[in-house]
Amino acid sequence: MAIEEVLSSKGRVKILKILANIGELNISDIARRAGLNYTVTNRHLLALEHSGLILHKKFGRIRIYRYNENNPKAEMVRKLVDLWEQTK
Amino acid sequence: MVLTMRQHFSVFKDESKLDINYIPSHLPHRDAQLNLLNQFFRSVIETPGKTAQRVLITGKIGTGKTVLSQHFGLQVTREAREKGANLHYVHINCRECKGSFFMILHQVISKFHPNFPRRGYSAAEILQMLIQVLDDKNIFIILVLDELDALIHNEGSDPLYNLSRIQEGRLNVPQRLSLICILRETEYLDILDSSTRSTLQRNIISLEEYSKSQIRDILNDRVSIAFRQGTVSSSVIDFTAELASSEGGNARYAIELLWRAGKYADSLQLPMVSPENVRAAAASVYPVVRKDDVFSLGLHEKLFLLGVARYFKQTGLAYVSMGDAEEAYAIVCEEFGQKRLQHTQLWKYVKDLAASGIIETKPSGTGQRGQTTIISLPKVPAEDLERELTKFLSAMRRQ
Repeated sequence: MAIEEVLSSKGRVKILKILANIGELNISDIARRAGLNYTVTNRHLLALEHSGLILHKKFGRIRIYRYNENNPKAEMVRKLVDLWEQTK
Repeated sequence: MVLTMRQHFSVFKDESKLDINYIPSHLPHRDAQLNLLNQFFRSVIETPGKTAQRVLITGKIGTGKTVLSQHFGLQVTREAREKGANLHYVHINCRECKGSFFMILHQVISKFHPNFPRRGYSAAEILQMLIQVLDDKNIFIILVLDELDALIHNEGSDPLYNLSRIQEGRLNVPQRLSLICILRETEYLDILDSSTRSTLQRNIISLEEYSKSQIRDILNDRVSIAFRQGTVSSSVIDFTAELASSEGGNARYAIELLWRAGKYADSLQLPMVSPENVRAAAASVYPVVRKDDVFSLGLHEKLFLLGVARYFKQTGLAYVSMGDAEEAYAIVCEEFGQKRLQHTQLWKYVKDLAASGIIETKPSGTGQRGQTTIISLPKVPAEDLERELTKFLSAMRRQ
């Protein structure tokens, strides 16, 4: 996925921001914090996971998402979000 | 205008050392039990994953169950860290979780996944998830279920059965979950099914109530770290220890009493804690003596009590001998124009007062010439008692 596709969506950037702040979360919680509905959140998460920025872990029926520490792009995005938030 | 705060002297050096959550570096009179706990968990610490252990700690309130376990927890995590083992000590109070197995497990899992969702699955599911989390992160835990009474009362036998059996279905995988159960009333064990009960009762540590001298040692330890030097005399410690041992050897009560007494001393800006402060503290913790009880006493019982109260108020001591109390009583009788009773009749009244719990008596024992009875006023401040009795007796005289 191209960078403009990831960063041009307000929803996706919101999700990246939430995960940078909180660390790891399940879908419902991400949706609630981002002010999006479940389906949209799920679609964004799938897209972000497809891009390799985030990954999920499954506990029974629960999926918990977090940044993919093994991906240097993910680390850079996370740092960018952190820096942006700090110097707001 | 600049307002300046007046600097008050405080008898405390570090109040936090008297807090209920403080874990002292040394546990007086619990070395044997701590050793036993270490022995039980030796294999879990040495070779994590090879075995899991289940231990039951029982004892009455204030006998050091929780602090024993927490102290062990600090030791064990430090030792595990040195050995490079990923062993965690997780202490959960079942009563704070309202006795809900789900909430208990959620708290445990939240230690490793802080934002784990709160709803949407059953206790059985979350137990499976917990094991999965432990497997994923290669974690071993010693789970402490404090106040287990609440869990058994609420959910019966199933939670403990599931916890102790969860690993049996997993062959050739590390044993990740060890249990310490802390229980006040052993009768609750009867509710459990026989297999769970037998696994728990295999390793049991029973804590006896602390004796008066043991409480004194505990208080001495705490006083040295929590109070400024010379602000708490040994007679105050003795007195507090005695009150606590009469409350069933409850060390927590003793420590709380001392903290409150210190607070009273501070509020009155006293340079040290007095027995009167301890009495005030005891009255505020457990209002055992009610006004009605005092007013229903006979005339001479009231006069005697007033004499004792004045004695304590004037001398600031914790104990009075029968002879000194009788003298104080004689002065009060004179003041109120009453003929004093002789020793034998008064002695009967003293016994009645002790039986009603307003005063406490004990033989003088060694360290004093001859045999006498020592009287103390454990549960109500002498000053309050004196004020009320004087008011009452003066009103009676005017009639």
